Amino acid sequence: MEAPRYLAGDSFLGRRDPRVLILVPALTVVTVALIQDLRLMTVAAVVALGYYALARIPFRAVRANWAFVGVFVLLLAGINGVIAGAQEYGGAATELFSIPVLDVPVSTASVSYTITMLLRFLAIAATGFPLAFAVRPGDLAVAFARFGVPSRFAYGIDLTFRFIPTVSASLRETTAAQRLRGYEVSKTRNPIRRLEQIRPLVVPVTVSAFVDAEDVADALDLRGFGAQRRTWLRTLRFGTSDFVAIGLFLIAAIAATTATVSHRMPGLWLW
Amino acid sequence: MTTNALPAKPWAVTSRTIVFGAVGAALYGALGVLSFIIPGTANVALRPALAIIPFVGIRFGPIAGFFTGLVGNAIVDQIQGFGFLTYWNWSLANGLIGLIVGLLAHYTREPAKDSRRVVWVAVISIVAVVVGLLFTVTDTFLGSTLGAWFTTAYLPAIAGTALVSVLLVPVLDKAWQPLANRAGR
Repeated sequence: MEAPRYLAGDSFLGRRDPRVLILVPALTVVTVALIQDLRLMTVAAVVALGYYALARIPFRAVRANWAFVGVFVLLLAGINGVIAGAQEYGGAATELFSIPVLDVPVSTASVSYTITMLLRFLAIAATGFPLAFAVRPGDLAVAFARFGVPSRFAYGIDLTFRFIPTVSASLRETTAAQRLRGYEVSKTRNPIRRLEQIRPLVVPVTVSAFVDAEDVADALDLRGFGAQRRTWLRTLRFGTSDFVAIGLFLIAAIAATTATVSHRMPGLWLW
Repeated sequence: MTTNALPAKPWAVTSRTIVFGAVGAALYGALGVLSFIIPGTANVALRPALAIIPFVGIRFGPIAGFFTGLVGNAIVDQIQGFGFLTYWNWSLANGLIGLIVGLLAHYTREPAKDSRRVVWVAVISIVAVVVGLLFTVTDTFLGSTLGAWFTTAYLPAIAGTALVSVLLVPVLDKAWQPLANRAGR
């Protein structure tokens, strides 16, 4: 985990304006947060996976990322879903069985709630992956500037991406240098001791990064950074496909919001 | 003399604010490789890189601290594949930690004695962590119950972040002081 990767090639999402790839997951979060019904959530998850497929991200390249997301979602949504579902909908449906040791009753309602939660996070992750792997890191700052973020902060985002490889290289060098001085990480389960073991790496890397940052700040000042309105070399233009993609997800978000506000949004699906 | 490291106005945005915020965010992202799961827990990870947020907030101001927390956490999510919007509320909560600790550092008196300064840094960092991470209560919008959020998300997060803050922020601060003084900051 060192630097962002671009994996979308010349796919449909790879050719989109980066603002589409930012707005779609944002609208997805709004939509799926409002959906409670398992059947509707299944539709949302299928649409999100269809969107993900448009990025044509090679699975081999993101297998580890999906495994990480999968474990995280299973732990977060799965376990929480079973426990929270039992607390919230315990008496609302037929009890199927009880989890031993924890003594948590599992009913059709808590199963419905848990699967809905899992699909919700799956939908969010499916639209989040193209944002992570189908936007060129250099385009993010321009996209944020176009969203109205002050150019200094937009440039700060750009600068962050540029610093990551330098800091990672510094971490590797520091680790090697400390090893030459006899630095060793002994195996321990004590988290305090582990943090203390990491200290000889974190402190020099951090301090040297901030010392070097002084030069960057001076260079920016010398070039009159922030003195005038900033323009960007990269220009972004919305095309028809961009409007259609955003329009579809916007309609879904508006429909979900309207249904919730007017109390027409279906609740938890019980069978 | 150490107080000269703090910005004169907490809300001032200069090239230094942006550069230090960006370096902090990059450090947060790059040092993420040093994270580890606390043995015996399911998914409570200790991120030593979290110490960067209070440190930047204290030494470079609340805006730089906010930027480091917000962008740093978003970039870690971006690199891991979630996309930076999936856990937008956790990114914002991390940003709030940097903002709050920066404001606390600005509006409370920094002790002159080294030993007291260590305690001051640790205390304001913990206060900022406890208050800033309260924003993650917005997890309930995505279906988590208040009880589940408190026991499985908030408490482990403040315990881990507070531990990292107490053990690493004072050390970082102590290592930075001579260099800050030498640079006349």
